[in-house]
Amino acid sequence: MNNLSTILKSVSKPGRYTGGEYGQIIKDKEKVSLRVAFCFPDTYEIGMSNLGVRILYGAINQMDGVWCERVYAPWPDMEDKMREYNIPLFALESKDSIKDFDIIATSLQYELCYTTAVNMIDLAGLPIFARDRGEDAPVLLAGGPCAYNAEPVADFYDIFSIGEGEEALPELCALMKKMKEDGTYTKTAFLREASHHKGFYVPSLYSIEYNEDGTIKSFEPKYEDVPKKVEKRIVADLNTSYFPTKPVMPFIETVHDRIMLETFRGCIRGCRFCQAGMVFRPVREKSAEVLNAQAKEIFKNSGYNEISLTSLSISDYSCLSDATDLLLEWTNPAKINLSLPSLRADSFTKELMEKISTVRQSGLTFAPEAGTQRLRDAINKNLYESDLLNAVRLAFEGGKSLVKLYFMNGLPTETYEDIEGISVLAKHVVDEFYKMPVRPKKPVSVTVSVSCFVPKPHTPFQWEPQNTLDELCEKQKFLGEKITDRRVRYNWHEAKVSRLEAVFSKGNRRLSKAIAYAVEQGMRFDAWDEYFDYDKWMDVFDKCGIDPSFYANRRMDYDEILPWDVIDIGVSKKFLISESKKAYESVTTPNCKEKCSGCGANKLGGDVTWCPKMR
Amino acid sequence: MVSQNEIIPIRIKFKKYGSLMYISHLDTAKTMQRIMLRAGIDIWYSEGFNPQPKIVFAVPLPVGVESECEFMDIKINSYMSCEEIKERLSYNIPNEMKIISVYIPEQKLKNIIYIDYEMEICSHSVDNETASQIENLLSGDVFVVKRSKGTEKEINIKDYIKSVSVRNENGKIIIKAIICAGGDKNLNPELLIEAIRANTKLLNGNPTEEYYSIMRKRMLCEDLTEFK
Repeated sequence: MNNLSTILKSVSKPGRYTGGEYGQIIKDKEKVSLRVAFCFPDTYEIGMSNLGVRILYGAINQMDGVWCERVYAPWPDMEDKMREYNIPLFALESKDSIKDFDIIATSLQYELCYTTAVNMIDLAGLPIFARDRGEDAPVLLAGGPCAYNAEPVADFYDIFSIGEGEEALPELCALMKKMKEDGTYTKTAFLREASHHKGFYVPSLYSIEYNEDGTIKSFEPKYEDVPKKVEKRIVADLNTSYFPTKPVMPFIETVHDRIMLETFRGCIRGCRFCQAGMVFRPVREKSAEVLNAQAKEIFKNSGYNEISLTSLSISDYSCLSDATDLLLEWTNPAKINLSLPSLRADSFTKELMEKISTVRQSGLTFAPEAGTQRLRDAINKNLYESDLLNAVRLAFEGGKSLVKLYFMNGLPTETYEDIEGISVLAKHVVDEFYKMPVRPKKPVSVTVSVSCFVPKPHTPFQWEPQNTLDELCEKQKFLGEKITDRRVRYNWHEAKVSRLEAVFSKGNRRLSKAIAYAVEQGMRFDAWDEYFDYDKWMDVFDKCGIDPSFYANRRMDYDEILPWDVIDIGVSKKFLISESKKAYESVTTPNCKEKCSGCGANKLGGDVTWCPKMR
Repeated sequence: MVSQNEIIPIRIKFKKYGSLMYISHLDTAKTMQRIMLRAGIDIWYSEGFNPQPKIVFAVPLPVGVESECEFMDIKINSYMSCEEIKERLSYNIPNEMKIISVYIPEQKLKNIIYIDYEMEICSHSVDNETASQIENLLSGDVFVVKRSKGTEKEINIKDYIKSVSVRNENGKIIIKAIICAGGDKNLNPELLIEAIRANTKLLNGNPTEEYYSIMRKRMLCEDLTEFK
């Protein structure tokens, strides 16, 4: 550390780079045969808040002879110093350069982290393109939600982990360890062997041909033993699968600095725009007892005084009432706060609100997503205005006066009537407040927060074009003019960011050229306002001969070969097409709890869930 | 309900070193709260709408400075022996922290008037002459800019130094300085390094080859006796 100390004293937030936290895992490097660097392409504060990375860090470190360490992207001030003084990217635990590790794993959570991720490969001192790295270089693995369409970054990584990793990654480490021990390891042989394991996609083993219009003509494995489709991995039973109970305790403030308890995976709802709702199927729940036991263990090992129950839609957790009863029994006397994010308005009850009132929250957030019933039906939100008004009335009765509502602009089939509907709905929420005979002292405030629709792979809307930038901006302006009530606050997402998200979400392998060029131009941290530069990106696309509209604004045909067709998430294309067609008829699909709609995800197995075929 | 007179004051003396020098005072305080909870110390909470475990630190440690003599005061609601508290805390602290002692305090934290620092500078071509040059520098009038709470003012660091000695030890510069601390008059020891950087050739080159460290050795009372 001596050679770093003067540098660390000159950069912002040096605590990002020092490691040494309580709970970090230190192993004797002489006694381990496999070293893994787990990279997160964003700052320490964001990376340390990611539950998935915490799970994988713990799961890999459970293995004997394998040491997994953490790496976060250095902020540009630190990067400048590292480049100036030739300090290669190092792991927090050992401070060793990750260039000499066996596996460098990267978690890809968000498309706008791509430049940061690729820049980290360069900072490690390795060639960014997989084809330029030699046999002796580490194996670069990537995973996370973005791996469901890995193509824009497929040229940078050797292998992708598709789906849930807590069993898959230890399996991959074991394979490498065995091949290194018995002398059969070469990177080429290892990747070929790994491609036979469920849930691993090796992009170099596929050849792609394009049509003249830029669409894909064929996407085939190069060898017979390589699977045509890579099926995602899931963990069958959350009650018995690994969950970390001894967290690494950050010294500096992170985004989610609290106990994060995962309650269930998947979502019963099936909103047609939502990728998480499709790719995390089937639904699997953790029992209230296991959850409570894990909470107690983590509290003992952390000293956190806040617990957050996480999931995609917490009020759909069938054990929610039991679990909160068990938790509150000891968290209340110990002055530990309990928080429940992702509430659905139609399952918000008085009982639930009274339980979470123990948290000092002054407001509540709901996501109607669209302003009219017609559009909510088209996106399969399955939420009625009366549900929302009931929920806000309960919140007002409970003394809360701040309501935040999330919406989306640019959804398929949207009309200006739907957009105006957002302002009408917000007004109705305000009216609901004044209908009450006894009201909270604080005046009502409704925040309307509107993002832009981004078509996502593996959803019923994957074939949809995004609205053009002009259309999105015009819609945002229109809504601003319709919202006239002073008690309604309106804010909206930067449409340029959403457009770039759409390009990379629906991108193919040809985009890697643009990412590499952008990195070369010094672009990184695109997800940060201070570094996001839309014009620079348009210039990058232009220089690389790429038309962003081809990806973001083109409607794809149902029979077009999609870049992400190589990935099998369990949900069938037939189901996605039928959902896409129903959207245009504004016909809803019942949730998994009510009726199985035959999406196909139950072929993946898993424990008892809402899927009747799996019981 | 615990009555007021059952609350027991406890003082904890600890070391904070290595990479923990980069952790700010506020982050250290938060870390301590969590250590208390992990250790199961029945710490007294402040009253009011948002009760917080009450922990009071002696003179905050600046970022970049290590310490062998940090003090923090807590109150506990029910009796636990000082030995037991020490053992529990020691089990729950990060690697680069060490609990030195736990006891019932007699002196008040505001009795701290000076802090004894030891600084080490590793650089090229350091000899006895460099050492005496620095000693002369720090014993005379040296003006630096002091920044606090968004204001800047030029100060003479001589006014804040009680005593200073500098020697060369195997090619390293060792500075021992007793500096004003506590409420009225306070100096960040980093300013001494700044003065050296500005007035000598030291610490102006490649930061991976030249470096320095600052260690708090002792906290002192008005009469220069060690604070306990």
